[in-house]
Amino acid sequence: MFLGKIKKTICLFLFLALPSVPQSFGQDISVAATVNKNRLTMEDVLQLSIIIQGTQNTPPPKLPSLPDFRVVSAGTSSSTRYINTQRSVSITHNYRLTPMNTGTFFIGPARVQANGKTYSTQPIKITVQKSLSQETEGNKTAFVVANLSSEKAYVGEQLVYTFRLFHRVDAKNLNLHLPFDKTQFHKEELGKPKSYSKVINGLQYHVQELSLALVPLKKGRHKIAPARVELDLIRNTQNRSSRDDPFGQFFSRRTRVEHKVLRAQPLSIEVLPLPDGVPEGFENIVGQFNISAELGKHNLEVGDTATLTVTVSGKGNVQDVTFDEPDLESHFKIYPDKPEFHQTVHNNQVTGEKTFKFALVPLESGNKTLPEFSLTFFDPGKVQYRVVRTQPITLNVKPAATKESLNLVQSGQQNTPSRKPKIEILGKDIFPIYTELNKFQNDGNDSSPAFIGVGLGSPVILFILSALIIKRRRRMKYDAAFYRCQNAYKNATRCLKKMSTVEHSDLPAAKEFGRKLSEILREYVGNKLNLQGKAITAEEVEHRLKESGYESAAVTRKLLERCATLQFSPTTRDSTKGLLGESENLIKLLEKQS
Amino acid sequence: MKHSNSFSLFLFCVLPLFISPPADASKYFEEVVRANDLHFEKRYAQSAKAYESLIDKGARNGYLYYNLANTYIRMGKTGPAVLNYIRARKLIPRDENLAANLKFAIQQTRDKIEPPSPGTLSALFLWSNDFNLRELIYLAMILNFIFWITLALWMYFRSSSLQLARNVLLGLLLFLFFSIGVKLKNESDSKLAVVLDERVEVKSGGAEDAITLFQLHEGALVTVTDKYEDWLEVRLNDEQKGWVPKNSVGT
Repeated sequence: MFLGKIKKTICLFLFLALPSVPQSFGQDISVAATVNKNRLTMEDVLQLSIIIQGTQNTPPPKLPSLPDFRVVSAGTSSSTRYINTQRSVSITHNYRLTPMNTGTFFIGPARVQANGKTYSTQPIKITVQKSLSQETEGNKTAFVVANLSSEKAYVGEQLVYTFRLFHRVDAKNLNLHLPFDKTQFHKEELGKPKSYSKVINGLQYHVQELSLALVPLKKGRHKIAPARVELDLIRNTQNRSSRDDPFGQFFSRRTRVEHKVLRAQPLSIEVLPLPDGVPEGFENIVGQFNISAELGKHNLEVGDTATLTVTVSGKGNVQDVTFDEPDLESHFKIYPDKPEFHQTVHNNQVTGEKTFKFALVPLESGNKTLPEFSLTFFDPGKVQYRVVRTQPITLNVKPAATKESLNLVQSGQQNTPSRKPKIEILGKDIFPIYTELNKFQNDGNDSSPAFIGVGLGSPVILFILSALIIKRRRRMKYDAAFYRCQNAYKNATRCLKKMSTVEHSDLPAAKEFGRKLSEILREYVGNKLNLQGKAITAEEVEHRLKESGYESAAVTRKLLERCATLQFSPTTRDSTKGLLGESENLIKLLEKQS
Repeated sequence: MKHSNSFSLFLFCVLPLFISPPADASKYFEEVVRANDLHFEKRYAQSAKAYESLIDKGARNGYLYYNLANTYIRMGKTGPAVLNYIRARKLIPRDENLAANLKFAIQQTRDKIEPPSPGTLSALFLWSNDFNLRELIYLAMILNFIFWITLALWMYFRSSSLQLARNVLLGLLLFLFFSIGVKLKNESDSKLAVVLDERVEVKSGGAEDAITLFQLHEGALVTVTDKYEDWLEVRLNDEQKGWVPKNSVGT
């Protein structure tokens, strides 16, 4: 809610602050489709560009249906040009079309909507051929090869699928597609891709090799679709003129990037079902395997630890082999370790080794025999089910030398195999919901823009106010004229108030009243204008007030003259009250005009 | 008399900005308790409805979104779960349980797409990712208040220590304002969306007959980059982007 308001404010600001930019610039809109070539091979990639002239503010073009191509967006580019003060704009939508079939195809009209109208491009005829026949595999700059370790296999038998890319120039931006049907094969990567060099027919190629383990899941004849790799080949080019120039060979060398799609040949495989008569204990282990077992030490005391190691090795799906803890009838405490698995690929053969370790702690003394471990598997070479077994192992357990009670968890014995403490993850789950009500305070209302404005603005206002107060206090302290001017009204009204309480009924009092009133008025004017008030005359008061822009200058002079008249010829009794009132009003008026 | 009238007017205008209208808080908390109880009773559909109802009424609280997301996880709806964890993350970005549950929810999705990493500018202001926008604004308000007080004191007393404090506070304040700006820009530019349909086809254009470029599945995290009628342009990375129907994703 709050974010929305902020956005609206920003949008409004941008709308008001920025000059309006026309979107279409009043130009005619035109749409065109171009390709980089009309004839191409299955190895090439077609670049389709939809160019929209006259506007940049359109939705993306609606491309026609292109079932014979794989379409990938390659971004957009826009341009703005000025020619003789005329501005022209355009936007280009680029696509990368990878042919999936050979033949002649039409790229139908692409549609673009702009200013309420729909614009269409012209159809383009494209011919897709097979790879050029004159180039044999040995002469090509780059080619790919895929093969299987065997064309016939049993369900569950591990095969090796090898994909090799041969290239004589630099290859970058490799994008490999290996389309396996997941319902027919189980796929597993066999390590990182390998890179090496190989000479074919006198030409040296760089080879990138990737091996996968494929396990057929269903019987029958299956096809493996061609593997496809998209890549950029970096070709070096030279100017014709610089070929004879020894320096030109260094300085005129340029590179050209060629985007290619290379396809391997399709493969097929016949998958045979496993023969009948599946023995008990068979768990879909197919291949050729050996099994062995050994014990770390054969003579030990109660409470000591010995490690029993069972190793299964051979060709096939070794990683799927599992063993339960051996049944030792409570004579031993058993701590199984996490199995270790190593796999290697050599000459289209996957060989692996899986090691199971059990730490055994004898609980009682005596001669003990460990039971054998057995593995049942199907051997495709001999076309039969086989069982391999370990030899029984005997060991002699002596009573413990110390009388201390046995601590089975304690470690640190001399011959104890060093094992890292590992925590076995048994399951995963989310953290529970929160229930503390104080966490659920609704904080949707207290972040309004007005609140933020006041929160951020009020310190600024307070600062300005305090700065003004500080400034005024300093000026009152050091600027005498300012101090007099600021206190003039207060002093004058105080004196007038004091006079109003005194009776001026007799003539000497009226005379004194006139003198005092004149003095108060002149003192007020003197304070306001920073003059010696008592020394200035009525004419001078008028003149100075006029100079300072006071409108009531003449009235002030007249009032001062009346005060002088009262002072020197006190005739009327009731004139004092009237003069006092007039003086109060005049001072208020002058205060407003200041 | 005149001054007191002005002060009353000031209070009348300013106070409503600070004091929220009295909401029916007890009813709100009762609803939260009821939704939580329904969750514990494993009546997840009703619990989700109760949380949604609170949110529809305008409640904006990170823990509410978190609980709702947990409920959706229990219902097996990873799409709405991821969406509500993302919404909660905006409000309670430091919550460790939330981070762990979001990771768990993403692992439950088929596409397993992690939230996009922050851009270059955001990387410089990584610290601000641990705060929500509201917290950053409050921090800025407090710092702003302290700064102006310090400035006023410095003007009155003119000591070197106050000058140093003034300069440091100004620097911090500007940095904080810039961080808020970057956060606001990020939240408006890279709008995260979550696929809610079981499967959605990403098209080359905003039309049904456009070519399908690739497919996404429930719970997939995408960045919305454009909008056209009932279609949204979404981006997974620099290369993979396309258009999806607006109602197939939640933002």
